[in-house]
Amino acid sequence: MPIAVKDLCFSYKEGTPFEKKVLHNISLTIEDGEFVGIIGPTHSGKTTLAQHFNALLTPQSGSVIVNGFLTSDPHADLVGLRLKVGYVFQNPDYQLFAQTVGEDIAFGPQNQKLSKTEVKELVATAMAQVGLDYDTFNQRDIYALSGGQKRRAAIAGVLACKPEILILDDVTAGLDPRGREEIMTVIRELHQKQKITIIFISNSMDEAAELAERVIVIDQGRIFLDGAVREIFKQSAQLRSIGLEIPEVINVIEKLQKRGCLFPSIPLNLEEAINYIATAYREREVER
Amino acid sequence: MELTKNITLGVYLPGKSFIHRLDPRTKIIASGIIIILLLIIRSYPAYGAVFLFVAAAVMIAGIPVGYAFSGFKPMLPVLIFMWIFQLFLYSSADAETLFSWWIFSATDAGFHMGTLVTLRVLFLFGVTTILTLTTSMVSLTDGLESLLSPLKAIGLPTQELVMTMVIALRFVLILAEELDKIVKAQMARGVAFDRGNFIQKTKKIFPVFLPLFIGAFKRAEELIIAMEARSYTGGRNRTKMKTLHMGRVDLKAGLIMIAFTALIIYLILTTVPPI
Repeated sequence: MPIAVKDLCFSYKEGTPFEKKVLHNISLTIEDGEFVGIIGPTHSGKTTLAQHFNALLTPQSGSVIVNGFLTSDPHADLVGLRLKVGYVFQNPDYQLFAQTVGEDIAFGPQNQKLSKTEVKELVATAMAQVGLDYDTFNQRDIYALSGGQKRRAAIAGVLACKPEILILDDVTAGLDPRGREEIMTVIRELHQKQKITIIFISNSMDEAAELAERVIVIDQGRIFLDGAVREIFKQSAQLRSIGLEIPEVINVIEKLQKRGCLFPSIPLNLEEAINYIATAYREREVER
Repeated sequence: MELTKNITLGVYLPGKSFIHRLDPRTKIIASGIIIILLLIIRSYPAYGAVFLFVAAAVMIAGIPVGYAFSGFKPMLPVLIFMWIFQLFLYSSADAETLFSWWIFSATDAGFHMGTLVTLRVLFLFGVTTILTLTTSMVSLTDGLESLLSPLKAIGLPTQELVMTMVIALRFVLILAEELDKIVKAQMARGVAFDRGNFIQKTKKIFPVFLPLFIGAFKRAEELIIAMEARSYTGGRNRTKMKTLHMGRVDLKAGLIMIAFTALIIYLILTTVPPI
């Protein structure tokens, strides 16, 4: 299910004195099986853009075509589309509303009028995908969950609708390092094993560098940079100019480069950085 | 999907117009007078005069006309329902029947009653909207508090009451924003809010209200903590950073209001009500 966006513009509260233009002439395409990170400063329009991908918002001008369907077409099956393009919201509290975890995850499948056994199967699969044990968590009260578990339940609720594209809107915000790591592992597995296209919106450059294959940088409602993850993070000066942080590992490597160390490229995670530094160190030893 | 777009109640539109510069007390009293007049008026010429007055106020305040009207949109179904109700159910002894349908018959008295009641509601809402659009929350609170302060003598906690009222007004927009997020989260999981019959549609509302109420309670609690953290203790011994002053603009507005009230009373006395 490819997504094609062309000349998309959008303003909130259009036609009122509070009108605010959020997106300016955005054009992009996302192909099947990609892992795209959308990054940008706060209020840059990341969420607004992503909500166009599953027709929660429809373009005021320009067009969004998902799997060949124009989202602004009044006859398009938007409900079906929204199930195929899953959206996990920033704050799980807006999404979770049932009494127990199982009931909440079953909400999506139930809306599709499936049989009880089918629903149960989907719930169990979705819970397994996010690493929540079915027997332990199915009957558990939503409000007894930790922050990380809530996020995972929210993701499972969307996965139970069997999406082909999964949009994750800043799902690691406010989690402790362990919860964050758990969510990231879940996301990585969904992409690698289930081959789900993932659109990952984040404020954290470290996470984007670690997970994404392609990165789209949005600034003030415009596409600032779009390319392979390594190419994007090479342009650290430009990223800093719009107020974004650079991943820690790249910071370290850049500092070493300034002192004369030579590296083949920039690292995207800790492991790569360690390898780069170890190799450079060994080479220097050999030279001596 | 944007739920907050058409909400004009409790929204403040900053500006520097004549109406913006008025003392909040002037505006509240003026709105009060117009509301009382609206409850007495029963003839079209008088409504015409109120319309001109309100339209002039909208122009002077610089409120975009389209925006002022957009606030009525969500009320439209209720107003139409009300009008139809009056049309068929209100009747008087000498009423002329316009047309009949099944056991209902529409009379001219019903027609006039429906129109008058609808106009009344429209203008009541319009006047309140102008007041809140041109008065910031802070000055609205100060104005109301100052107007109600005589009641302190009989032990009424005016400051607390006003604070509660203003917070409630402010929460209209906040809750609408939360509702927007919740509705979107459920639409993303396959709920079609615009499909199905009345019962099916109503059923879909319940899962929306649960998180909304929980969110509202959470917010209320956070607000309490934030207020207490800044040592809010209610009305006793509170002083104001900005004290209210009536000025020349208020005198002008007062004179205009007296003239307008006189005109309306004249119209009420001289024109014959349709029913």
